Amino acid sequence: MAVNTQVAKLEAEAISIEERTPFQIVTRRFVRHRLAMISLAVMTVIFIITILAPYIAPFEIDELNVGNYFVPFGAVDEDTGRVHYLGTDNIGRDYFSRVVYAGRISLTVALLSVVVAETIGIVVGAISGFYGGWLDSVLMRFVEFMLTIPTLPLLLIISSMLLRNEDLVPIPEPVLAFLGKILLLNPRDARNAVLIVIVLAGFGWLASAQLMRGTILSVREQTFVEAARSLGATDIWIISKHMIPNAMAPIIVDASLGLAGYVVAEAALAFLGFGIQDPVPTWGNMLAATQTYMLDRPWLPLVPGLPIFVCSLAFNYIGDGLRDALDPRLKL
Amino acid sequence: MAAYLVRRVFQMILVIFISAIASYALLNLAPGGPLAGLRQIQQSGRFQITEEDIARIRAYFELDLNLSIRFTRWLIGEPRGPLVIGGKEYFGDMVVGCRKPIEAEFLNERGEYEIRTVGCKESVVLGDLVGRRTSRGVLLGDFGMSWRLLRDRPVTDLIESRLSKTLQLIGLETLFSILIGIPLGIYSAVKQYSKFDYIFTSLAFMGSAMPTFFFGLLMIMAFSILPKNAGLPYVPAGLSESVRNYTIPWIGEIVAGSAQDRIMHLILPVTVLTIINIATWSRYIRASMLEVLRQDYVRTARAKGLSQRVVILRHALRNALIPFITIVVFTIPGLFSGAIITESIFAWPGMGRLYLLALGDYDYPVAMAIFFILAVLTVIATLLRDILYTVVDPRIRLN
Repeated sequence: MAVNTQVAKLEAEAISIEERTPFQIVTRRFVRHRLAMISLAVMTVIFIITILAPYIAPFEIDELNVGNYFVPFGAVDEDTGRVHYLGTDNIGRDYFSRVVYAGRISLTVALLSVVVAETIGIVVGAISGFYGGWLDSVLMRFVEFMLTIPTLPLLLIISSMLLRNEDLVPIPEPVLAFLGKILLLNPRDARNAVLIVIVLAGFGWLASAQLMRGTILSVREQTFVEAARSLGATDIWIISKHMIPNAMAPIIVDASLGLAGYVVAEAALAFLGFGIQDPVPTWGNMLAATQTYMLDRPWLPLVPGLPIFVCSLAFNYIGDGLRDALDPRLKL
Repeated sequence: MAAYLVRRVFQMILVIFISAIASYALLNLAPGGPLAGLRQIQQSGRFQITEEDIARIRAYFELDLNLSIRFTRWLIGEPRGPLVIGGKEYFGDMVVGCRKPIEAEFLNERGEYEIRTVGCKESVVLGDLVGRRTSRGVLLGDFGMSWRLLRDRPVTDLIESRLSKTLQLIGLETLFSILIGIPLGIYSAVKQYSKFDYIFTSLAFMGSAMPTFFFGLLMIMAFSILPKNAGLPYVPAGLSESVRNYTIPWIGEIVAGSAQDRIMHLILPVTVLTIINIATWSRYIRASMLEVLRQDYVRTARAKGLSQRVVILRHALRNALIPFITIVVFTIPGLFSGAIITESIFAWPGMGRLYLLALGDYDYPVAMAIFFILAVLTVIATLLRDILYTVVDPRIRLN
């Protein structure tokens, strides 16, 4: 009893600094990265716009304003009084509405790709790093080899094959229906988007797995893992409760940089004609379409092109900010 | 070292073999292919296509052979007919494929009709292969004939005609990137936290986030279309030389196909590629230079009283460039495959665009050839990098 009060008294008297949780520390560091904060704000606005797409976009994605081709910015539709904020395209579809819906599709594809790729990467990397041995060397040799092949030719060859044989990869109907609801597309068009996610994530996990394996290798030797093992924890418990949470920092940074990569990669595939195809709008295929008309309308590529650049830049800055916040020693 | 090399070369052969199988399987396992269009024509009823026609077309694309036979014929050019040992033919009647398959419509789970092959009316035997045209095999550098882009001409012809264009583009790009990117990276690292460094790193950051296809279009807009519309000197965009003569204000008339014309057409694509490349390369150089500048031996060199110039160029730079080897070596596959996106924007008749066209047009022999060569070059580049590392950096040992 007496001892307890003494301790309490000592504690009260001690010069104490305000205690912060690791989360608070990271948040404070991140907030200090000005460009990352601006990017976060920009992306939040873009996400809100795309989530509210049906309420913000005045037109439907495939609504044709027959006869009114390439109307200028801010032209008003005479019959309904709605405004073409960014004008219309070559067949009279509203640019602004299509850019908004395209954002919804492009960003969803990028987010899904990141989630799938990082999940596979974490699992494969963790298993490979934790168990080592022949499994590790087989997996990592494979990953290394795949990473050395120039990505774009490989992506193109696979997506061209998948897009031509849409039924080759069985995708459960409920998944398609659910995604269709998110993307506001019918399940058939949603299949196209899912295939692109498969293609992108199919290569994206390679680098994450390598990263995860490296981090796991360094975590594996830590004493807390040894402690957990001596207490009789199973492998799965150690991997999922001790190692993965402690190896998450680089993965989080990788994921946010990955988002930038996937937005650009999806746009690149669509731009080259090997991604999501025209009636469904994405920034990439809209940009490709402007190429034909840019001789007379030089400013046209900016409409779908700027969102790609802004998203890519913003995700890069956010990733940079996260890297500074999570691990100040890691700085390129 | 020798043992290591032998092992690596063995691994290399294995990897090349696997990538041959992979590139073949990717395009050939999938249904559809070159006959997809034919089905539509057949169903539209505008043309009378007999069973015999189809069999002939299938034979042309070798689709009447089993996949394994097709693959070995593609890979090593065998079998060309029955096995001949000591003047006697063996396995002449072995079935290797089907000339006229029996097809039937089935209702699948989703309630759609699909056509499946259920049997064979007339099969192909090994003896039938005698006299059929065949390549000497991919492993001997014969990639067969093009199916569509240049029908019945060797794929190698097609590649040769495009290769020099890509070499021009990527060669110049690499040269400029090294000449500009390395000094920029070094200067930025040496003057860390200076105003120059700050501007440079911000620009490089933006440049590496910039998608090539958007940047390319912006450059066309800024240096080709807008100045041209305004009556100012402009740079032509698209193709590698123009079809007819054209006049550029202040410069005068340019004859189509002349050296001047070709240089004018090189400017924009090379600039786009170089700027994007510099953005990434110089960031690498800067980072590795910063790391090296913190090393003890650099401090020692400074303490000895060596001039800043000598310290940086002779002591620091050499070590800072070691990680750069990887990047430079891997431009070798790039030299071949080209810059797919840039070539497509500028309609540059190089390898990258050829690859795109081949994929889009079902010209599988061409696409497979490019992909296969690319894989081989990549494997060679990997080996080259590992060997170069040990040559440059004695701390790294091969084993």
